[in-house]
Amino acid sequence: MKYLAHRVLQSFFLLVGVSVLSFIFVELSPGNYFDEMRLDPRISSETVSRLRMQYGLDRPLPVRYARWLDSVAKGQFGFSFAYNAPVASLLWPRARNTLVLTGSATLLAWMIALPLGILSAARRNGLVDHATLLFTALLLAIPDLLLALGLLLFAVRTALLPAGGMMAVGSEEMGAWDQTKNLAIHMIGPVLVLVLACLPTLVRHTRAAMVDALNLPFARAARTHGISPRRILFRHAFPVALNPLISLFALSIGSLLSASLLTEVVFSWPGLGPLLLEAILGRDFYVVTGAVVLASVFLVCGTLLGDFLLIAVDPRIRMEKLA
Amino acid sequence: MSKGKHFVVPMVCVAAVHLVTFLSGFFAPYDYSEQDRHLPYAPPSTLHFRDAQGTWHWRPSVCALVERPEQFGVYEEDRTRCFPLAFFTRGYRYSAFWLIQSDRHLLAVTPPAKIFLLGSDGYGRDELSRLLYGGRLSLCAGLLAAASSVGLGLLLGTVAGYYGGWCDAIVMRCVELFLALPWLYLLFALRAFLPLHVSPSQAFLLLIAVLGIVGWARPARLIRGIVLSEKERTYVLAARMFGGSDFYLMHQHIAPRTYGLLLTQAALLVPQYILAEVTLSFLGLGVAEPVPSWGNMLAALQQYDVLVSYWWIWAPGFALFLVCINYWRLASAMQVAAEGTAHWQ
Amino acid sequence: MVARSPNLAIAVSICLCLLSQFAGQAQSVSEDVVANGTETGHQGGRLSVSLRSEPKTLNPVTSVDVSSREVIAQLTADLVHINRLTLQTEPALAKSWKVSPDGLRYTLRLRHGLRFSDGHPFDADDVVFSFRVYLDEDIHSPQRDLLVVGNKPIAVRKVDPYTVVFELSQPYAAADRLFDSVAILPRHLLEESYKSGKLARAWGLDTPPLQIAGLGPFRFKEYVAGQRITLERNPYYWKVDRDDHRLPYLDQINFFFVPNADAEVIRFKAGDSDVINRISAEDYSNLEKDQSAQTFRLWDLGPSLEFNFLFFNLNTALPAQSSTLARKQTAWFRKVKFRQAISLAIDREAITHIVYRGRGTPLWSPVTPANRLWMNTAIPHPERSLQGARSLLQSEGFSWKQDGTLLDPTGVPVEFTIITSASNAQRTKMATLIQADLKDLGIQAEVVPMEFHSVLDRIFQTHDYEAAILGLSGGDVDPNSDMNVWLSTGNDHVWDLGEPHPSTSWEAEIDQLMEKQLSTRRPEERKAQYDRVQAILAEQLPIICLASPNILVGVKSDLGNFKPAVLDPHTLWNSPELFFDGQEGGRHP
Repeated sequence: MKYLAHRVLQSFFLLVGVSVLSFIFVELSPGNYFDEMRLDPRISSETVSRLRMQYGLDRPLPVRYARWLDSVAKGQFGFSFAYNAPVASLLWPRARNTLVLTGSATLLAWMIALPLGILSAARRNGLVDHATLLFTALLLAIPDLLLALGLLLFAVRTALLPAGGMMAVGSEEMGAWDQTKNLAIHMIGPVLVLVLACLPTLVRHTRAAMVDALNLPFARAARTHGISPRRILFRHAFPVALNPLISLFALSIGSLLSASLLTEVVFSWPGLGPLLLEAILGRDFYVVTGAVVLASVFLVCGTLLGDFLLIAVDPRIRMEKLA
Repeated sequence: MSKGKHFVVPMVCVAAVHLVTFLSGFFAPYDYSEQDRHLPYAPPSTLHFRDAQGTWHWRPSVCALVERPEQFGVYEEDRTRCFPLAFFTRGYRYSAFWLIQSDRHLLAVTPPAKIFLLGSDGYGRDELSRLLYGGRLSLCAGLLAAASSVGLGLLLGTVAGYYGGWCDAIVMRCVELFLALPWLYLLFALRAFLPLHVSPSQAFLLLIAVLGIVGWARPARLIRGIVLSEKERTYVLAARMFGGSDFYLMHQHIAPRTYGLLLTQAALLVPQYILAEVTLSFLGLGVAEPVPSWGNMLAALQQYDVLVSYWWIWAPGFALFLVCINYWRLASAMQVAAEGTAHWQ
Repeated sequence: MVARSPNLAIAVSICLCLLSQFAGQAQSVSEDVVANGTETGHQGGRLSVSLRSEPKTLNPVTSVDVSSREVIAQLTADLVHINRLTLQTEPALAKSWKVSPDGLRYTLRLRHGLRFSDGHPFDADDVVFSFRVYLDEDIHSPQRDLLVVGNKPIAVRKVDPYTVVFELSQPYAAADRLFDSVAILPRHLLEESYKSGKLARAWGLDTPPLQIAGLGPFRFKEYVAGQRITLERNPYYWKVDRDDHRLPYLDQINFFFVPNADAEVIRFKAGDSDVINRISAEDYSNLEKDQSAQTFRLWDLGPSLEFNFLFFNLNTALPAQSSTLARKQTAWFRKVKFRQAISLAIDREAITHIVYRGRGTPLWSPVTPANRLWMNTAIPHPERSLQGARSLLQSEGFSWKQDGTLLDPTGVPVEFTIITSASNAQRTKMATLIQADLKDLGIQAEVVPMEFHSVLDRIFQTHDYEAAILGLSGGDVDPNSDMNVWLSTGNDHVWDLGEPHPSTSWEAEIDQLMEKQLSTRRPEERKAQYDRVQAILAEQLPIICLASPNILVGVKSDLGNFKPAVLDPHTLWNSPELFFDGQEGGRHP
């Protein structure tokens, strides 16, 4: 319990640190939201500078940060220049959509990667191993963006999958079951891309960890003792290999909100991705800061979960040595 | 030992790739910025061993391409104007390894014909030449960034896992900080501070170095987990009882246990950093024109039209695929060699 | 008489009231605008349109971005409207207007019997309220600057419930064009927010539909975050077709959001959208291959009003530590012949061919051929000539080294950087082509693509750049819309910003001419003045114009009355008249 309290306190400081550094980074980078208005010949520069003042962009950094903290306390998380609305109202519906996607993708990816990695390690240099090597190398050599685009094109060409979006036009008139089916069909494309994107890392790490574990003296000794390979694999080697996998899993959970930005943009999925991309490029930085803080919350939860699992799984790690 | 056998093949392949890219001046028929306004998106040249009369020649020829009027990017071959290839001829000057100047090239063909072994890009520049020159920059950048990430990750992760307590807390919170922050703005700021006249490759290398340094977080987290587990092992405790210093323990006993993970990470990170440039160039942070790199060549595929119509623009992807496989094999071989030494201590 | 028989008086007055109501309604039918020259369609159907970014607000007062404007244009109406095809003004909410002899007073007569989309009647109070809001200095509406003439805002006065008078401080040519796209707001819904100072925050995307009302052909129905905005027909719309059927024909317009142009094309091909706006040239050729399948038609409308240009940093106010930049300015950029030589060396045909696949127009002047009313046809269009460029440079004292490098009169090799926005692939391509062109002249030009806001920062704030490529789009064909670019005090005078006085004599001449044409009432005089401005620009080349993309749009074959235009909004400007051919009258989900 004390440990938990410690961690929560540390995480709170972390979130404060993340928000302060975000502000500083944005301050350093050139330009602000209202610059784009300067390009319109019909808007005068006085209007632009007055708008900047209205939104407090000419105030010093600490003042702006204090106002942002105040807004967080009110649950608004700052104000978006573009939408003229509180950031929180923009984030919640989209974060929900993102989680639907990334949650399913993470689950699916782990379900595929673990067996594949274990199999590759067990039958080293066999057919499965070589095929996996080629497959993962191929996936690594293709940028995520192009993978998504390629899949979208394939979907459109073969008319097997929809060309993007979350629900079809006119779906609000369908029944609940039809709506769920519709959603599932629209999810296939982006989920596939996300799974394929993170598969190489997971598979390679699983394989490497299992190979390491299978080469340990006790595993070899167990073979000579005549214990069945399968028992060795799952009962003895796998728990040893779990260590890096748990850390990876924690990072997976931690990146639930941030990993799918490009995929969402390509597939027009109404998640945080398109909103964030536009906010980053347009310097709508309260939106960016709000999303960054939200994603950090996930990261912190993921790390906490990972640390707990480490202790649970590996008896050699002792709680008091773990910060 | 038999372990040496696993080393040879991937090592040779990797060395060959690097050698070819460093000698790109010799292997590339054209300079990477030489445009041909009349031949944008030309397909790979067909090599004809038989000339128009049907006679067989040992030397293949290339025929001139004419763009079909009113249609962009569609070409017809003009069999009446064919030119043979020449080997080891003189051409434009280049320098290999920054020292040797030469003007000998492997392949050339007399103008106005063009030998596009891998087709041409949107400005009519030879893809093969750009692939070779680009490989130099991309491979260096990828290796540099991956090495910094993994190196820093090893250092910080070992320290955090070994000492535990406050040390672990600080480092792990830094990990979370580094994973959470929007580095893109920092990169914008960095690019803005750089003077306009810095050469494209220098600017790019700087940015990639920053990315690499910032990327220590993931490897550190993974390594720390293993170190936490390994430091309680009996032989470590025994070594400590015998008076081994912390540094000795970390260096001799614990770190080798992480090599498997490290090599895997490194082999994963190199292509990821090379490809990070695809996204960076979209945001104006990649290598500037006309300098090629595999990332910015692949970025051309973001356009729907190019993705659908011109398959040879994927060439850097194929090259990266081959490089990936060989790095993997090398990493596996090194892992096998390392675990051999690690276990029998 | 009234005192003696109150019942009779009451009865008479009731009859009179009823009669006047009838009269008013009968008048309203005859005052409905008849959409002329169109096919007669039938009611029904849902139009699906893709938007390249999500609209940010439905508030006409504060909206700036293109997507918001596109949606708001369907919800609102203006007093005088510019017909996108004829490019002339026509009556909209105002049925007629008179100009006083001195050109300072515009009296507009409004239509009777119109109602907002929630049924509330419309009258002059709404007009006065709307202009008060737009001109309010505390709200900082981007529309305000359009309504400021001669440094004083327009004054609005109500004469009677259906007549308004606008007073200008100086005569303004084409003042009726000012009213286009200035949406009239409903006083009954927004007065509260205005009085409490919350108007700028009103009418965000999650406002309940009942709180939004306008005089446009459609009204707001639903918004789903990140996905779509749905508009439904406005039952009180004031236009009818030739057979007296109330417009619009369409039941609904469904705007859905796509993240970029490629996704837009993919969705159009898949049939998710019915109209696609501003296709890029590459996507156009790709779609052309599928056109034979007969499900959609593509239109190439010719050049747009957008002009892309290369310009050099001629700013007199420079950052402190930039002696090299100052030297380059004096030695190279400020010399007219240097700029002319650069212009001669650029291969505009190649730009049109490679960047726009032939679907573009080379430009030598910022007024594109799309602006047939104002373009100066006497301006020369010289072909690319390296010879000509060389002789121009030689006459200024430049010379060449053995290896071809260009040296300035003091012997320094000529080299500079060109910045451009990395997210705009076309301009980056232009920069790369120009780089190769200038290499032929011996100039070492480096292309530095940067993130968009960094580019804007350098051009508008720090002035720390040497050359840049930008594109501007004239909002309207009228010269007044681009005033801020040509006036030396204008905030879009990109090559020399922030100067209180013109720094050269030709800039002073341009200033005078632009001020004059602002208030000249006779069109021929204005044309002559603007022609002279164009001639000066072509001679002095503060901006070196490159090319203009054509307007390329696509539409499903079964959409009737589709008449794309050169002015924004290209495809939906006549949305009340659009209808679906076919038996069922439209698409079904």
